[in-house]
Formats: sequence, structure tokens, C-alpha cells
Amino acid sequence: MNIDLSRRGFLKLAGAGVVATSLGSMGFGEAEAQELAQIRPYKLATLNETRNTCPYCSVACGIIMYTKGDVHQGQADLIHVEGDVDHPTNRGTLCPKGSALKDFVTSDTRLTEPKIRRPGSDSFEPISWEDALDRIARAIKDDRDENMVQFNEAGVPVNRWTTAGFLAASATTNETAWATFKVVKGMGIAGFDNQARV
Amino acid sequence: MSLTPDPSVIGGVATPQFARLPDPRELFQRRAARLRHLAQGSNLGPYLRFIADLCDAQGRVAASLQAPAPPDPAVIERNRSCRMPPIDRAALIASDEMGRILDGLLTEAEGIEMPAPARAALQSLREAPAADRQALLAELVADRVPDGFAAPAAFAAAALQVAGARAAQVLDAGQLVPIRVGTCPSCGGRPGASMVTATQHQEGARYACCATCATQWNEVRLKCLCCGSTKGIGYRAVDDGSTDPVIKAEVCDECHSWVKIFYQNRDTALEAVADDIASLGLDALLRDSQWRRGGFNPFLIGY
Repeated sequence: MNIDLSRRGFLKLAGAGVVATSLGSMGFGEAEAQELAQIRPYKLATLNETRNTCPYCSVACGIIMYTKGDVHQGQADLIHVEGDVDHPTNRGTLCPKGSALKDFVTSDTRLTEPKIRRPGSDSFEPISWEDALDRIARAIKDDRDENMVQFNEAGVPVNRWTTAGFLAASATTNETAWATFKVVKGMGIAGFDNQARV
Repeated sequence: MSLTPDPSVIGGVATPQFARLPDPRELFQRRAARLRHLAQGSNLGPYLRFIADLCDAQGRVAASLQAPAPPDPAVIERNRSCRMPPIDRAALIASDEMGRILDGLLTEAEGIEMPAPARAALQSLREAPAADRQALLAELVADRVPDGFAAPAAFAAAALQVAGARAAQVLDAGQLVPIRVGTCPSCGGRPGASMVTATQHQEGARYACCATCATQWNEVRLKCLCCGSTKGIGYRAVDDGSTDPVIKAEVCDECHSWVKIFYQNRDTALEAVADDIASLGLDALLRDSQWRRGGFNPFLIGY
């Protein structure tokens, strides 16, 4: 059956011209026009939902982060965080810490730059990344030079450095975790945790 | 209450069920009630009330028929083996039952109050030869409405929804398997919209709602229902100042389409077809955008 033939048949029977919308062609054009007039002054709000991993612990629950504003313009505000129901680990559930992630992100006391508490001081003050990394490198080098154990009592090479520990993030990629492990173990650090324990 | 700790109480993390089948009686009743509720205080009131009356007619037609015969297990098995849905849409529209449903619906629709153009379309469909009706149904089962046919298609689609929901009703939800993204596992149709639900232990699961047979099936969130991409997904809503809109358009920058998504977990009253029509304002704003509508709704042609 050719639809063009069928169309002619219908149009002849209906005695109507071609009207594009359902509402218009069924005689509800007035209601439609009123609705369109009312909506015209409104704009579209740009929203986003983004999958991510909760950064707290190595369970690595899936989360969905809701933002308002254009992420690509750097103007998005986080408005809501919930568990990702499609994530096989947590199936939408979150622990109390995970449920509070939004406040964690928007907190006034959130650390946004390197800070130092100098000897004798009771407060932290900002420090540049350059200075911070120099100080950390210096402290690591000094401590390692002083405390590195190359051989145990039996004379077996052990190359361990037990006076420093290293705490890394749990929400990193496999590649980052691999590189972190190589650097830390390469220095001989024994106390190493690649996640924040619950 | 036992003093022995029972970790399973907090440890139970359920996998969302894959498909939810419709109950035609409940479906059309709920849809009609929702449409009448939305009609209060809406510019689209007259249209919403008209569709509500049409839903009542759908419900009456569905109730007047005997329960459909369960599908042939051999056909289901064959279709499953080649990733095809159990309902054969071509066979559905060619069936005697489809003819009876269409006749029944058109008769029921006679009693509905409607403007002259709608009545003329109804009349033309009643008088149309069987071949013309079949041609129109064939377009509808391809999830298309030919240009200029919006009015008669609304009545034919209403009948097809009854036939589709009845056919889906007798399926076994446990036997359904995913066909592909955005394709109904019961009848192979396109969704009208999708719904974020709040069923206990499955909170936040998203279900696509078939525009024809009303089967709801689980789809991963933040995923385009038209092309299956998870890249370039964004959301748009009418900017009325609220921070938490319950109706959004899920837009895809990969295939430049959008499908409405309803957050039933924040507003339990939302209904896939009723709220789709009532939120026509969102369609109007998106009509002039770079995205085109991907959800199929035969009562909302032209957006």
C-alpha cells in the first residue's frame, strides 16, 4: 500500500489541510498557542549528571553528581550527589560519608591550596607549590638518609625505610595507583596505604 | 527483635528487575486520572481532557475483550535466539483482534466531546477502507506518523496501544532479554520517555517506557536512548528558577537527539505519556535547538 495514496484518501475525507502538530490538526490550536506564548519568555536551564567514584575508601562506590550550569564554561554548581544505581558495587547505596559528599565538596574549610603549619605555630598558612614540594623533598631526603635500613642483622639486603609512611588516594585510576606504588616502594617505604581505610 | 546482628538487612543490594509489564486496565485508568489532574490550571487543559477521555475509551475497549492467548513458546524461543522481541508487530496489526480493537475504539471515541477537526479525522478513519487503516497502522508500528496524518494517527495509535499492552501483559517478564539500547524488549518499539524510579531497594533505577506496549525496561542512566552513547550526555529543563526539576530532556551531543526523563523518585505522580504531553513547553523550547526529539509520542506529533 502506497502511503501517498492513503494520505490523499484521508485528506479528502477529512477535508483538512496539512497541519503539522497533533494539537493543531485536532482543533486544539488555541490551547497550543496559549501554551507556546506562556513558555516563550523562558530559557532552557543547562544541567548535567556525571558519573564518578566516591573518593573516600577503596570500596569505590559509583556516584552520580548533579550540576547546574555549563560545565564546559566552568560555571557549574554542584547541586546534588547520589549513589549510582547502575554501579555493580553499591547499586545506588551510599554510606553516611558518601551521602555527605556534596557538603564535602562545597565546604568552607575544604583544602584548595598547599598549606604549612610552621614549628611553634598554631595555624596553617598558605605556601606555594614550589616551596611546598621543595620542603617535602628535603624532609624525605633527610629522613631517608638517616633511617634507611639496607641490611638486617643477618646481613640480608632489605632496603627498608620504616620511619616514613605514605597515604595515597583510593579513587585514582589503575595507572596512577601503579605509578604511586612504584615510587613509594622504590624509595623503600614499608608503611604504605593506597586507600583511606573506612 | 533478635540481639544477633543480621548483616543481610543492610547488606541487601538488589539488581533492578529488567522489565516491568503493563496491566492495561490499571495503565489507562492511571493515565486518564493523571491527565485530568494536569488539565487543571494548564493551558493545554482541553487537549489533556480529550486525551484523558480517549484513555478511558482505551480502558473500556481493553476491559471488553477476553484475556489474550499467551504467545506461542516456540515463537518466543525462536525470536530470542536471534535477539528479536517476542511480539511481532507486523503480525499484531494484521491480527483479527487488532481490527476488533480499532473498531471498538473508534466506536467508543464517538462519544467523546471533541473539536470538529478531530471528529472529522475520527469519521474519516471509521470510513477508511481496510487497506488505508493497515497502511496507517504499518507506519505507527514503525514508530512514525506520516506528515499530515497526526489527527487520524492519534486514534489509530490509541487502538495500537491497547493491542500492544494486551500482548505485552501476557508475556513472562523473566523471559525478556535486552534487544539493544532504546528498543523495547517486548515489542521492539521506541520509548516515549524514560523514568527514574524509586522502587524499594532499587532506588534511582531508570526505566524506558515503550510508547506502544507500555512495557518498562531498565536502561543504564546517563546514556542516550537513541544511539547508546554515554559521551556528551547533558540535561535541559525549563528554567523556572527551581534547582531540582523533575522533568528534564536528556540531550546527546553524539547523535543530536533528546529524550524526556521523568524523576518519579522525586514526584511519584509522574506518568510517562500524560506528563510528556503536559510538558509540551519543554518540547517547544527544544524545537529551536540543535537537538531533535527522539522519544515517540503519537499524541505529540510536530515537536
